[in-house]
Amino acid sequence: MSDAAKNTTDIRPGTVGAISLAKNTTEVRPGSADAISLANTRPMLELQGVHTAYGSIEALKGVDLHINQGEIIALLGANGAGKTTTLCSITGLTPPKAGRVIFEGEDIRGARTESLVKKGLIMVPEGRRIFPGLTVLENLKMGAYISDDQKSVKDDLEHIFNLFPILATRSKQSGGTLSGGEQQMLAISRSLMGRPRMLLLDEPSLGLAPIIIKNIFETIEAINKESGVTILLVEQNAHLALQLAHRAYIMTTGVITLSGTASELLNDESVKQAYLGG
Amino acid sequence: MSSNTPKMSAKSRIHAEVRASLAAALWFCFLAFPLMTLSIRPGNAVAFSIARIPYLFAAVFLLTVLWRFFLRRRSFKNVSKAVLESEGLPEDLRPGPKPSWVSVFMSSKYRSHMVAFLLLAVSVIPFVSSPYVVNVMVVALIYVALGLGLNVVVGVSGLLNLGYVAFYAMGAYTYALLNQYLGWGFWVCLPLGALTATLMGLLLGLPVIRLSGDYLAIVTLSFGEITRLVLTNLNITHGPRGIGNIDPPGFFGIDLNGSVKTFLVQRLNVHPDMNVNKIYIYFIILAIVVLTIICVFRLENSRLGRAWLAMREDEIACQAMGINRTRAKLTAFALGSTWAGLAGVVFASHITFINPASFSFLESIMILSIVVLGGMGSIPGVILGAVVLIILPEQLRFFSQYRMLLFGALMVLMMVFRPGGLIQSTREVYIHRGGSRKNAPVPEAAPNRGGRS
Ligand SMILES: Nc1ncnc2c1ncn2[C@@H]1O[C@H](COP(=O)(O)OP(=O)(O)O)[C@@H](O)[C@H]1O
Ligand SMILES: [Mg+2]
Repeated sequence: MSDAAKNTTDIRPGTVGAISLAKNTTEVRPGSADAISLANTRPMLELQGVHTAYGSIEALKGVDLHINQGEIIALLGANGAGKTTTLCSITGLTPPKAGRVIFEGEDIRGARTESLVKKGLIMVPEGRRIFPGLTVLENLKMGAYISDDQKSVKDDLEHIFNLFPILATRSKQSGGTLSGGEQQMLAISRSLMGRPRMLLLDEPSLGLAPIIIKNIFETIEAINKESGVTILLVEQNAHLALQLAHRAYIMTTGVITLSGTASELLNDESVKQAYLGG
Repeated sequence: MSSNTPKMSAKSRIHAEVRASLAAALWFCFLAFPLMTLSIRPGNAVAFSIARIPYLFAAVFLLTVLWRFFLRRRSFKNVSKAVLESEGLPEDLRPGPKPSWVSVFMSSKYRSHMVAFLLLAVSVIPFVSSPYVVNVMVVALIYVALGLGLNVVVGVSGLLNLGYVAFYAMGAYTYALLNQYLGWGFWVCLPLGALTATLMGLLLGLPVIRLSGDYLAIVTLSFGEITRLVLTNLNITHGPRGIGNIDPPGFFGIDLNGSVKTFLVQRLNVHPDMNVNKIYIYFIILAIVVLTIICVFRLENSRLGRAWLAMREDEIACQAMGINRTRAKLTAFALGSTWAGLAGVVFASHITFINPASFSFLESIMILSIVVLGGMGSIPGVILGAVVLIILPEQLRFFSQYRMLLFGALMVLMMVFRPGGLIQSTREVYIHRGGSRKNAPVPEAAPNRGGRS
C-alpha cells in the first residue's frame, strides 16, 4: 500500500496514473456537501423515463435518474430489479425502446456501444468478464482497444502496474488463472485503460470475500477522488455502497422507488428494513 | 480412511475396467453382427457364419483395455502434474501458460538461422526431386495456405466456417473463366481471384455473421453446397465437365519448358521429366505461404487479432471495450476468404483443369481437419497439419483403401490425447516480444492486494 502511495508522486496529467490509493478514505463523507453544490450544474448523465424490454418482458418501466460530474452514485436493489439492464440501457447493449438517455447534453439512446466508449462512458460488466484465455497484459491492452496512440497506452499500462503491482507480477499469466479479487482488479484496470470519464460498475463485490471487497471499494473511491472519474455503482451490498456513495437510487422491479443522499438513505427506516438487515 | 483402501480400490478398479471393456466388446459385436456374419454366396444364397464373432470380440476387448489404460494414464499424469505445480510454490510464482517447444524455439536466438535454413531446404527440393514430389509439395503448400486462411476464421476468431471451399472455388473459377473467355493471365487474375473471394466473404458475412456457433456453421455449409451446385448447373462453367486447358502462370512471356528447361536439366541436373512450370508454381505458392505466415503472425499480435481472440472468449466484454462486434468478425471472415481465393487461383493454374467435384463439402472438412489437427490458432500447427494430412496419405498409398478409416481413427485419437492439436497455440511468444514487463516495476514486497477469495 505504501508502495502505491509513493508511486503517485510522478503523476502525469491526463493519464490514469492520476489515480492513487489513499489509505484513509474509508470513512463516510459527512453530509456530502460538495455533492450538493455540484448538483446545481447540469447533470453529466440523465435518464428520463427509460423503458427497456427483453422481448415481451419489460425490465425497465420508466427509470429516471441523474448523475453529476464527479459524483459516486449507487444504484441499489434486489436481484432482478433491473440494475444491470439500466447499465446496459445506458451503454447501448440493450437499447431502450422509450425514454431519453442524455450524456453531456446529447441524447445517446440507441447509440452504438463503441461510440460511447470513445466518449468516455465505460462499463465494467457484471461478473467481471475478463478474457480467461488472454494474458493479463493482453486483457489490459484490450481495454485500450479504442486508443490509436501506442505511446499513451504504454504510459497507462505503466501506471496501472504501479497502481496494482499484483497485476504486474501476473502480467504473463492467463486471466483465467487469477483469483476472484485479482480478476476484479483486472476488470477495473481494463476499463481504466480506456480512459473513462464516467465508469459504470456492475456489482464489483459479487462473490468476493469481505476484506477484498473493502480493497476494491477503496480503489473505486480513489479512482473517483484522484482523477475525477464519475462513478455509477450498481450494488446489492447496500451497506457498503452507501458508505462510499454520495447519493443513491433504490430500484424495485424496473422503477426507481427511492432516492436521496447516502446519509439520508442510511437513516431511512424502510431502507434499513429492506436492505440493511433491519 | 483405512490403510488398505488403495489396495482394495485398485483391485476393484481393475474389475471395473475389465467389465467396461467387456461391455464395449459386446456392444461392438452387436453393432457389427450383420456386417460380420451375413454374406451372399453365388446364386444369391445368403450365408450365415458366426465363426468370426469370437475373434472380433477378442480384438475389440484388447483394444478397449489398451485404450482405457492410456486414457487413465493420461488423466493421472495431468492430475499429478497439477498437484506438483500447485504445492510448495508461493502464489506469485504460480506458473503461467506452459510454452510449447515451438514457441520456445521461436523466441530463441537461433530463430532466424533456423528459419533461413528451412527456407533454403524447401527451395532446394524441386531441383533435386522428381516431378511427382514437386506435385505433391505444391498441393501440400496450397493446403497450408488454405489452412492458414481458415485458421484466421476458425482458429483465431472462433467462427465455424464449413463452406470455406466455396471461396477456394471462387478463386479457381475466377482464373479459369477469365483465362478461358478473355485470355487473361495468371498474374492479373491472382489479385482478382482474391478480391472475388473477399467480396463474396463480405456479401455472405454481412447477413450471417450475427448468427452464433451452430447457425453460422449450417449457413456456411449450405453456402458451400449451393456454390458447388451453381457451378455444376451453370452454362458458362461447362457444368460438371469443368474447364480445361488453363494456362500456367506466365514468366515474362518465356516458355519455361524450352531453353530454360534444357539449362536446368543439363547444368543443374534437374529431373529430365520435370515440367518447369510446376517448379515455377511451386515457388509462387511458397512465396504466398511465406507472405501468409508473416501476415497472420502480425495480425495475431495486433490490436485486431487480439480482438478476434477476445471475441472468441467473451463477446459482451468485447462490446464493453468498444469493439464493433460485427465489423471485427466480418473482417476475419472476409480476410480468411482472401487466402482461399489466392489458393484457388494457384490451384487452377496447377492442375489446369477444374470442375465442381474438386470443391465438395469433403474438401471443406479436409481443410478444417488440417486446422484442428494442427492446433487451432497455431501457425506452425497448421503447417504441420497440412503436411501430415496431405503428404502422409500420399506416402501411405499402400493403405489407400483404409485411408478414410485411418483418418477417422487419427482424428479421434488426437481429440482424446491432444485436444489442442499437434502444436498448441500459446500466447507466450507475443509476451516475450512485447517486453512491457521491463517498464513495470515489480516491487520485492508487493502486498498481495488481490489475495485468494
Ligand atoms: N437476457 C434477458 N432475457 C430476458 N429477460 C432478462 C434478460 N436479462 C434480464 N432479464 C430480466 O430482466 C429483469 C431485470 O434483470 P437485471 O437487470 O439483470 O436485474 P439485476 O441486475 O438488478 O439483478 C429480470 O426480471 C430478468 O429476469
Ligand atoms: Mg445484475
